[in-house]
Amino acid sequence: MGLVDRGRLPKPLTQLFNMGRSYSLWVYQWGLACCAIEMGAAFGSPRYDVMRLGVIPLPASPRQADLVVISGTVTDKMAPVIKRLYEQMPEPKYVISMGSCANCGGPYWDSYSVTKGIDQIIPVDVYVPGCPPRPEALLEGVVMLQQRIKNEDMGARWRGEGSQSMALVAARQGAAKQMIDGMSAERGGVPVVVDH
Amino acid sequence: MTLLGDRQQLSYIASQAADARVNLELETEGMTLNIGPQHPATHGTLRIIARLDGEQVVWVDPSCGYMHRGYEKLTEVRTYPQVTALVNRIDWLGSFANEVPFILAAEKLMGIEAPLRAQHIRTILFELSRIANVSLFLGDLGVQLGAITPVFMAFRDREYVLNLIEGATGGRFHPNFDRIGGLKDDLPAGWLDETRTVMKKLRRFCDEIEDLLFGNEIFQSRTRGIGVIPRDIALQYGMSGANLRASGVDWDLRRDQSLPMAWDKVDWKVWTHPDGDSFARCWVRLQEVRESTRIVEQLVDTIPAGPVMTKVPRIIKVPEGEAWVCTENPLGEMGYYVVSQGDLGPFRVKIRSASFNNMSITPWLLKGVYVPDIVTILASLYFILGDIDR
Amino acid sequence: MECLLSEGGFPLSLTTDPATATDALRDGVLASVQEALGDMIVDSLVKPGDDIWARVRTESWKEAAARMRGLGFSYFDFLSAIDWLPSPFGRGEDDPTEPAPVRDSTIRRGYTGGDTRLQLLARLVDPTTSIGINLKADVPDDNAHIESWTSVYAGANWHEREAWEMFGITFDGHPDLRHIYLPTDFEGFPLRKDFPLLARIVKPWPGIVDVEPMPGGEQDESAQDGDAQ
Repeated sequence: MGLVDRGRLPKPLTQLFNMGRSYSLWVYQWGLACCAIEMGAAFGSPRYDVMRLGVIPLPASPRQADLVVISGTVTDKMAPVIKRLYEQMPEPKYVISMGSCANCGGPYWDSYSVTKGIDQIIPVDVYVPGCPPRPEALLEGVVMLQQRIKNEDMGARWRGEGSQSMALVAARQGAAKQMIDGMSAERGGVPVVVDH
Repeated sequence: MTLLGDRQQLSYIASQAADARVNLELETEGMTLNIGPQHPATHGTLRIIARLDGEQVVWVDPSCGYMHRGYEKLTEVRTYPQVTALVNRIDWLGSFANEVPFILAAEKLMGIEAPLRAQHIRTILFELSRIANVSLFLGDLGVQLGAITPVFMAFRDREYVLNLIEGATGGRFHPNFDRIGGLKDDLPAGWLDETRTVMKKLRRFCDEIEDLLFGNEIFQSRTRGIGVIPRDIALQYGMSGANLRASGVDWDLRRDQSLPMAWDKVDWKVWTHPDGDSFARCWVRLQEVRESTRIVEQLVDTIPAGPVMTKVPRIIKVPEGEAWVCTENPLGEMGYYVVSQGDLGPFRVKIRSASFNNMSITPWLLKGVYVPDIVTILASLYFILGDIDR
Repeated sequence: MECLLSEGGFPLSLTTDPATATDALRDGVLASVQEALGDMIVDSLVKPGDDIWARVRTESWKEAAARMRGLGFSYFDFLSAIDWLPSPFGRGEDDPTEPAPVRDSTIRRGYTGGDTRLQLLARLVDPTTSIGINLKADVPDDNAHIESWTSVYAGANWHEREAWEMFGITFDGHPDLRHIYLPTDFEGFPLRKDFPLLARIVKPWPGIVDVEPMPGGEQDESAQDGDAQ
């Protein structure tokens, strides 16, 4: 209607929209490692029943999804695929990072092939810690995201304010690469392999 | 031959050739089909590039590595107890079973042996992780064929087993319960009775799955005679576990080698199937879950009293030497070749995981099958990406 | 429970003294292997009740596999390699602010010895008896080439790709030697000991600090400063 992008959305209408959005989250399951099974237990099993929270774990494509749950170890080979996935999702989009590996590298913090945290590639809204987190923990993460959506200013989000933007991620990537380049120059002769 | 080194150019030429190919008799056209790296049929992050002639597969390239975490390198910078925590995550559905061969290899090098009660508990937990693993396979099998119900049943009944594992070890998914020289703790009170009840539930689950899935005509016609692996080929590729036994090889590492575990103290049967097709592989796995429930029940009845930990030094140093220990894990033969140089951590660990060998047959096996059969054959081979890529 | 190995595979119990124990079954298997392979075997070892090791000549690596297969070792278990060079980075626990410590780079060999830094390791099993054998072969230092096993055991294909990627050993006659795990543009051979784990070099190993000082304790510097003032 043009109200959102012009930033003239009345407050009651914002709240109504936000409530609608928070209770109809279509979640795309990006299951990678151990956490994928716990995510499957949370989203697919009768015991935890995620649909009572208004989350629909069914979209067959990221192009129909509001939320993606990245669950599991992200390797440097997988990282570009995840970035492309994120770019395909329509705005407004949210990301839950599930498990220690997706948060920061987890038990593979020193591995040569694991990306140390998906927040180096895409912005993350909620981090769920654990290795792997229990299904209840993931549900808690979903509830936290819903609360965040309820308090969101849609106009600000539309203008790219008020949430982590890709510029921030790019800046962080640049800083990390600079640091590593500096280290390798100092060490001289050590074969340095960085994939970013 | 000169082009072989340049992968991108090679695959470009091959895909061009496949796309341009036209079968004049059947009037079919070639095309390249990409499945993955994130696709439900690939159980995670496997990518399969298939060149098709109409509906038939001409050439297949499974591209793995999307879950490669560099285990063998990481073990070299960790101490032995830290490695145990790490190897849990190789085959994430049967975590406890991954710890056992590594611990046994370290114990072999140190010349110690766990007490009898610890051996029994290890075997019980090993079989429980097999049940938790393979029951999810049986549920997932239905999904791959378009039946949604079995996976809900599998998740429902698997929770009982996970609760048992959590009750005993404190970890629902990754127990990290095995220690060099025994176990971290004894079993909690009332655990054995609970186990008996759960085993009855699991056997009922097997009956349900057998009625619902294995007796189904669609299931049979989709799996019988599809993806046949002859005995000789299976051995050459180093296939193991139910995949090998479904090709008629009567070989089970639980029975055919002597390890300080409790399998030789109970009565159970190794199931084989002569057909070697997808149906045989699924059927053998179903029987194995049943046998596992029987093994657990007998071990629960005969578990001896005593300590669960033998005397080991506080800081574990493993003497110099090399050792190879393999066990019959839910997915097949899992082994660790541990080279120690008397340090706090291993010098080199070669992790032989079952799925890597089981999957290496796919370029041979998928040649000539139809596109829908790719999914059922992959499902019946049963791999876990963490186990392929390590 | 009927056991196929009733006479051969006795348990790894402490009651058997490894110094005096003998293993007729494995000794017999090794004798037949030695007969079939002849002078291709450089060195061999039997650990009673445990396993068999044999090191074969580099140039007869493929021929040895073919003869082993003829002997009934039809099950291909795995193929990998070992880099015997002691890691120049230790266990990755150095403090990056200090100068790198000097480490002993003398190579200590494993079972059946060896002359080179890189050594191939493969395991074959006879499925009828469940007796396996670990085969080793030296890979030349200056020119890491060795014959491929793919024409003998088809399953060696992926294992050789892995060994090529991880150790930089080229397998002559392999039909499709390319990356299996890592991205195509990855540089270096991760499982060689001189390949550093960068995260451990960039960030000091947290385990350097053995015990964190207690707040307000004797070693707590901030507390001592406070006392001085």
